[in-house]
Amino acid sequence: MRIFLIGVLITWLIIVGFIIKGDREAAGLSQQQPGTDKVQIVFWHAMGGPLGRVMTDLIDRYNKSQNSYFIKAVGMGSYDTLAKKILASLVAHEAPDIAQNYETLTKKFIKHHKIVCLDDLIASESEDIKDDIIPVLLENNTFDGKLYSFPFNKSVPVLYYNKDIFKRVGLDPEKPPETLEQLAEYARKITQYHQTTPGADTSVYGYGNSKANVWGYLNRILQFGGKIVNDEGNKSHFDEEAAVNALLSLQTMLFEEIAKEGQGFDHQNDFIAGKCAIIESSIVSKVYMEESLNFEFGVAPLPGQKTKGVILSGTNINIFNNGDPRKVAGAWDFIKWFTSTEISAEWSIRTTYMPVRKSSLKSEYFINAQARDPNLKAPYVQLDYCHFEPRLTCWFEVRDLMADHLERASIEIIKMKDEYRIGKPEGWQFKAEQDTRSLLLETIKRQCEEMAIDVNAILRHNTD
Amino acid sequence: MANKHNKDWGAYLYLLPVVVILVTFHVLPIFYSLIVSFYDWDLIGKPEYIGTGNYSRLFDDPMFYKSIWNTIYYAIISVPLSIFCSLGIALLLNNPISGIGIYRTIYFIPVITSINAVAIVWNFIYNPDFGLLNKILAVFAIEPRTWLQDPFWAMPCIIFMSVWKGLGYNVIIFLAGLQNIPRHLYEAARIDGASRWQQFRHITWPLLTPTTYFIFVISSIGSFQVFAQVYMMTPRGGPLKSTMVIVYYLYRKAFEQFEFGYALAAAFILFIITFSVTLFNKLYLEKKVHYS
Repeated sequence: MRIFLIGVLITWLIIVGFIIKGDREAAGLSQQQPGTDKVQIVFWHAMGGPLGRVMTDLIDRYNKSQNSYFIKAVGMGSYDTLAKKILASLVAHEAPDIAQNYETLTKKFIKHHKIVCLDDLIASESEDIKDDIIPVLLENNTFDGKLYSFPFNKSVPVLYYNKDIFKRVGLDPEKPPETLEQLAEYARKITQYHQTTPGADTSVYGYGNSKANVWGYLNRILQFGGKIVNDEGNKSHFDEEAAVNALLSLQTMLFEEIAKEGQGFDHQNDFIAGKCAIIESSIVSKVYMEESLNFEFGVAPLPGQKTKGVILSGTNINIFNNGDPRKVAGAWDFIKWFTSTEISAEWSIRTTYMPVRKSSLKSEYFINAQARDPNLKAPYVQLDYCHFEPRLTCWFEVRDLMADHLERASIEIIKMKDEYRIGKPEGWQFKAEQDTRSLLLETIKRQCEEMAIDVNAILRHNTD
Repeated sequence: MANKHNKDWGAYLYLLPVVVILVTFHVLPIFYSLIVSFYDWDLIGKPEYIGTGNYSRLFDDPMFYKSIWNTIYYAIISVPLSIFCSLGIALLLNNPISGIGIYRTIYFIPVITSINAVAIVWNFIYNPDFGLLNKILAVFAIEPRTWLQDPFWAMPCIIFMSVWKGLGYNVIIFLAGLQNIPRHLYEAARIDGASRWQQFRHITWPLLTPTTYFIFVISSIGSFQVFAQVYMMTPRGGPLKSTMVIVYYLYRKAFEQFEFGYALAAAFILFIITFSVTLFNKLYLEKKVHYS
């Protein structure tokens, strides 16, 4: 019996030992590659699928292109997991050398001196790198006047539309909607055509969006000429006219049943199935959807209203201050290579993420690719009026709260719709058109006020 | 004298492993979290002492109240429902019918299955488009619902799944309790002409109270700690935060918003709530238990 128990104990210890070893290896923490004198740079990321493959491809090319450094890319699955692992690794003093991060976390790292300021590294270069970085991206990564991270996988939202449906209902497939009003008009035309034309598929609808889409709503606020939060970051502008109009424009479409909100990627699947004519989604979705689309589709900039405006999404990369100058040098060498004019252009065209440099936009590779696929033009024209979300520590909490409010708004509006609309397929008859419109406006106003109160309660505690 | 002394040391030595484990993994963390709850700490920086700052912010946070309410809702429905169902099944399984082993196994399988695997399967069952539940309801011409995406139904869905998952455990304990009841009491009752209901009411129920009390206490504590199914089935805490329970709330504060002091303050309040509920059970309900 005793021998058996000792045997079990030893087996356990061996298993635990292997787990620890395997874990450290998987995380890229066991030092140098055996048999080479290259410095190993560990890069933690959350890129998967087709985009992850492009990244691995480029990293392989970098590793072969020189003999000093070896980039070991370690996928962590999701951004959530990545952030948790980075924090845990910092506590354990086993941080990676490079990692993808959102701005809010970058701010935390700066505060605790965990990452390297890139200004010093740039200063040692002969080329004026900062001057060539696309302005909005430079600003997005600059904290208190200093550059701490590099844009990595930055994307913008775009409009995808089904050209076949456009032709079918008599819309010009080369003229996507340019304003939100036009968007509603097109969606109405498309939905009504399919509801009233004999033999048409009645399930086809105009415009699709995902439920509780904070990104989409923030874009609309900008398009109505509004602002998101004040400069001090302690009060939101959600109870103001632009934010009310932004919500109203979306909810009116839901009310009219010319638009639908789906769970997660439902709207994207409806678009692929030819059920939804126009959707709003990240430009990155193009890479995922392209192969499944068996109709002609167009990619257009988001419609404006009072003005044009879109918001960036995605992460940046930063270099951790692990105390080894060779690793910092290697990390910087890789980032410099990855964001150079040619590689940045290739990364951008193959993934649709934004390139880092202005010169990439003018490069031959870039221009040729856009000539081959005109749908690649839309994301880049939006760079001129591109913004980013407030970089507040509590911003993710605010976003989560906003998602709840947007979801509640939709639920309420859909209930109202069932109460106030009469007659199903033809025309959109409301019990007293004018009353309904003003009721809708009143409801949205109240919803926006409630959202502002809740969000302000969080922002009040903001200490950045 | 010296001999007795040696004996004492032997006893302490035997106690040592369990004391070490309890102190390292239970006692120390409890005190550690109580201390950290008075600090502002984002894990990578230095903790900063803020007194009762976390607690006063907590009592000012509507989401915290909502999470407490949701947890109580979960507990109040799931505990009695689970006891009612498992007692019913235990009474059935206590009969000498053929294939009894198979039935007992079937009821116990969910207990030993990983909650994550179970949650994924139930996600499919509750799926509004191709889920089994809507398909079954369609047979009875009942309109499909969106279940986990519906603010009203999300919590009942979680409760139902949790009750199903934990049923087997309670059934086994009830079965053990039922088999402890002496046969001769039933025989005597039958001779006196007691009906089945009277037998249950006056023999089974009173003599089963120690078991029922045990299950009640254990399930109450467990229900205040509900987390995995909420995390797996309703990311973000469900539609309109309708399934945001305390443990999920503090998990998000700690591991998504990296406010460890704040999360530990919430954890400590959960500890106080659970402790008070258990104390109430002990002081009030235990009086009603018949230890024969």
